[in-house]
Amino acid sequence: MRWLHAEWTKLRTLPSTWWLLTATVVLTVAVAAAATSSLTSAVCASPAACHEDTVQLSLTGVRLSQAVCLVLGALSMGAEYGTGTIRTTLMAMPTRWRALAAKATALSLVTAAAGAVGILLSLATARLILPANGFEAPSLTDAPTLRAATGSVLVLTLVALLGLALATLLRDTAGALTLGLGVLYVVPLLAHLVASPVWQHRLERWAPMPAALSVQATRDLDRLPIGPWPGLGVLAAYAGVLCVGGAVALGTRDA
Amino acid sequence: MTTTVTPYRSRLHPGRTGFAHLLRAEWTKFWTVRAWPLVLAVAVVITVLISQLGASGSTAGGGPEVTLGPDGTVVTDAFRFTHRPLTGDGSVTVRVTGLRSADGRSLEPWAKAGVIVKQNLDQGSPYAAVLATPGHGVRMQWNFTHDTAGGTGDLTTAPRWLRLTRTGDRLTGYESADGRGWSKIGTVGLAGLPRTVEAGLFLATPAHLVVHRAFGGTSERYGGGLVTGTYDHLGLKGTSAGARWTSTDVGGAAPNGPAPENGPPGSTQVSAAGAYTLTGRGDIAPDENGPDTVQMSFQGVFVGLLFLVALGALFVTGEYKRGLIRTTFTATPARVKVLAAKTTVIAVLTFAAGLLATALGFTLAQSRLRDNGFRPPEFPDLSLLDSPALRAVAGSAALLSLVAVLALALGVVLRNSAGAIATVVVLVVLPQILSFAFPLPAAQWLLRVTPAAAFAIQQGKTYYPQVAHNCLPESGCYPLAPWNGLAVLAGYAAAALLLAAWRLRRRDA
Repeated sequence: MRWLHAEWTKLRTLPSTWWLLTATVVLTVAVAAAATSSLTSAVCASPAACHEDTVQLSLTGVRLSQAVCLVLGALSMGAEYGTGTIRTTLMAMPTRWRALAAKATALSLVTAAAGAVGILLSLATARLILPANGFEAPSLTDAPTLRAATGSVLVLTLVALLGLALATLLRDTAGALTLGLGVLYVVPLLAHLVASPVWQHRLERWAPMPAALSVQATRDLDRLPIGPWPGLGVLAAYAGVLCVGGAVALGTRDA
Repeated sequence: MTTTVTPYRSRLHPGRTGFAHLLRAEWTKFWTVRAWPLVLAVAVVITVLISQLGASGSTAGGGPEVTLGPDGTVVTDAFRFTHRPLTGDGSVTVRVTGLRSADGRSLEPWAKAGVIVKQNLDQGSPYAAVLATPGHGVRMQWNFTHDTAGGTGDLTTAPRWLRLTRTGDRLTGYESADGRGWSKIGTVGLAGLPRTVEAGLFLATPAHLVVHRAFGGTSERYGGGLVTGTYDHLGLKGTSAGARWTSTDVGGAAPNGPAPENGPPGSTQVSAAGAYTLTGRGDIAPDENGPDTVQMSFQGVFVGLLFLVALGALFVTGEYKRGLIRTTFTATPARVKVLAAKTTVIAVLTFAAGLLATALGFTLAQSRLRDNGFRPPEFPDLSLLDSPALRAVAGSAALLSLVAVLALALGVVLRNSAGAIATVVVLVVLPQILSFAFPLPAAQWLLRVTPAAAFAIQQGKTYYPQVAHNCLPESGCYPLAPWNGLAVLAGYAAAALLLAAWRLRRRDA
């Protein structure tokens, strides 16, 4: 518990943490507002004929704010390596994996809290904007919507953990970010551009971002490349394996 | 009361701060940090490898035979044609009295009714036509890729007189509202037109294109499209071997229609008073549905840019992190000059590396695509020294270089590699991912105003204004013209550099 408190203090007293958490909330909501207000029935005959997944559209902000969470995660460990604090930290907490676990817990809690605020505000924004254009407003009492919202908060948390794990493995913020952003954004982009349908399907199933974001879908579930919860599981597996790898590397290497 | 604060000026004799010396200093810094040349090399290798991988995943072939126009463009050439042979000079005149949909759906704006002179009845042979459309007025079109606008009258409300005159291998199009006062639309030369050609009236309509777009999935559906056109006052002046008008469906069934709508052939009816009623389908236009083999050769750029972004950002944030920046500014108090030198070094190095990567990647990817069935004549060999390949290769290198400069400038502004790298990657890559997901107008707006617009430079396909098409981001279409797209990214980089210069002068190091 005292370790968690130490990590919490470290995280809390960095000004960048608060900036990044604010950015997570603001960007999630801003993209949600932009996405939902861009939805008009001008391109299709009627709101129902648009076949838009309004819940997924309201949660689009996650695609942007996950980058912020990745930065937050990578910085929480990368900054210690950058400034050399890591040596002090490990001297104070000699069981290294517990130091990492404490950091991961503190990070998950703040990210999940900020993510939940962002997601709830996004849905509230969507409820304000969508009915004005004749579309159905998302409601949290609806089971798929609740699953999409919870899943989105988990996506943000897992992405932060992914950043933490990569920074622990690479001992460097810039490297961790480049790799993390590449895995999150560039791999799915390639999936869209690869002409071979087999590879496209494989990439959409096993790349962390497209797989995890399938948790946001609330309609045409049978057309998803991977189911909502298994998809989130793919991201969880990436984050989990890398965290364990990070713990092992932290335990066996010098700091 | 005002007080004037004299800014601090060092009394030391300034060092050798000529720009050439600064460049040399930054050049040395780059090459002596072991990781940086390595990252540059890795970026080149990865770009080439991923381009290869992307190309090898694509195969062509198995599709229907394509029709090639006189200049080798892939075209659609199928229409209802009521014709007589015309030998030597002459002219064909008709009054188009109406055009209506025959399949219960609304008329396509580019449905065509008019007169045409065509080398023969083969698909893809040279032609010139004067035609009236429901949505785009009267046009003169020739050899598929060329289009000249005439009057703007709406065919569905007022009849139009159209005339096409042949003199040697020159064809002149005229239009008239009443059949007495004629105005010229244009004259075109069709080199090598034989002495005897087919002349007459024609009817065509592009297939209906229905785009169904929702999160994560897009489907495009072609519906056959069937129209009926009515004509009268049909006249042919000149020598003709055939005394009667004959009707043909050039190209047979519609090229894109699903099977049931392919069924009925076109029809021609003539009334006793000389009024013609044609029903038909098909289109005379360039075909824009094929894959873009130029764009398909550059997929590695998306990955390569990550490394160059990191390089650009670290080239300056590394100095802030280690405090070297204070040494740099002590040696050269003119900070903006330092920024200029750093920018020049990074821009030149990343452009050179980018050019190597894209030229190599393109050449290898092209040969891989050729192995996978993308062969001439449908996919002609592209020379690296000709546009669009040259433009795409050099443009992609410029894109990589500009992205690195943007990262460097943001690195100066934020003094922090994490922020700079994340911001640039999000600005350049995220819009493309969001564009697959957003409703179409928002998606196209995103690809216009964000640095992602620069990827338009990789497009090898020409989109003709006389063909209606939906610019779908998922099929690789960018709404801006190639160079305009690159200019958007250049604008971002320039703005970031200005901001960086301003911050450098105003803040402590």
